Amino acid sequence: MTFVVTENCIKCKYTDCVEVCPVDCFYEGPNFLVIDPDECIDCALCEPECPAEAIFAEDELPEGQHQFIEINAELAAKWPNISQQKAPLEDAEQWDGTDQKLQYLNKNLS
Amino acid sequence: MALNNEEVLEVKHWNDTLFSFKTTRDPGLKFHNGHFVMIGLEVEGKPLLRAYSIASPNYEEHLEFLSIKVPDGPLTSRLQHLKKGDSIIVSKKPVGTLVIGDLTPAKNLFLFSTGTGLAPFMSVIKDPEIYERFEKIVLVHGVRFVSELAYKEHILKDLPNHEYLAEEISEKLIYYPTVTRESFENKGRLTDLITNGKLCRDIGLPQLNPMTDRAMICGSPSMLKDTCDILDGLGFTPSKHTGDPADYVIERAFVEQ
Repeated sequence: MTFVVTENCIKCKYTDCVEVCPVDCFYEGPNFLVIDPDECIDCALCEPECPAEAIFAEDELPEGQHQFIEINAELAAKWPNISQQKAPLEDAEQWDGTDQKLQYLNKNLS
Repeated sequence: MALNNEEVLEVKHWNDTLFSFKTTRDPGLKFHNGHFVMIGLEVEGKPLLRAYSIASPNYEEHLEFLSIKVPDGPLTSRLQHLKKGDSIIVSKKPVGTLVIGDLTPAKNLFLFSTGTGLAPFMSVIKDPEIYERFEKIVLVHGVRFVSELAYKEHILKDLPNHEYLAEEISEKLIYYPTVTRESFENKGRLTDLITNGKLCRDIGLPQLNPMTDRAMICGSPSMLKDTCDILDGLGFTPSKHTGDPADYVIERAFVEQ
């Protein structure tokens, strides 16, 4: 089991989750965070921390978000680790809750 | 993940299934009482780590951990052979939800634990702040067998003579051990003892009430769920996340190793 970062993190990237992760299993891209499924210990601390409510247990993913299991695994292998909270992206508040954000996911290195 | 190597200072075996150990502590490791860290051993060249609550308070120079022994547990099957002088890995980032700051002010603090869920509360009951904030601290520890009541003698005999907190502990700490599978002074499941009112009757307090009481819960996933359901039914509100003070907090990181 692992926790998964889903669509509503895109263009927000609040990073509150990073601060509470005991194993530092978050990885950071330009406008999204992911969890490394092999490193996550399922402690559940990050889930309630996310102001955008974008983190879910793998077996409790909302409809339409299952593709993020693969996206988290893929990008965790590529992006750099992040272990400390930083400022959210500009306009995070405006983007929080916006539909169809997957099209904006930037998979490049930050 | 940033890791330290610590040295095992002392090992105590409580019975066939339970042991605790003390280690050195990196002076840079800061934590809140009730926090957990990742600890473990190097196995086949890689660190094998599990989440463990710190059972010692944050003002002591050493760290202490309480663990079960599982014959085929990947980590505990190895950990149980620890001896004085061995090296152990401890992560540098203590975290967790069982922190006093996430409880709003009230009269009594209930600490509900089963099994090794006692560990974080061994740290919390030595925190001077809880004695400033609450009139009574009720430590409930549910186990199957009497031999699983780790730290019982320490709580009953040593803590009332604690070097800084002797007076506070003697006046305010109520220890309520309960056993399910053999005879003992208190018998039954912790959840039943709450719902049938026996716990509060035995310790001379009114039944749990969100107006006067706060709680911390640490145990197996099923114990957590049952206890949360009971507290919710009594009108308690859980803390939603760290930094959100409410009526009770739970440790969700507890995994049976």
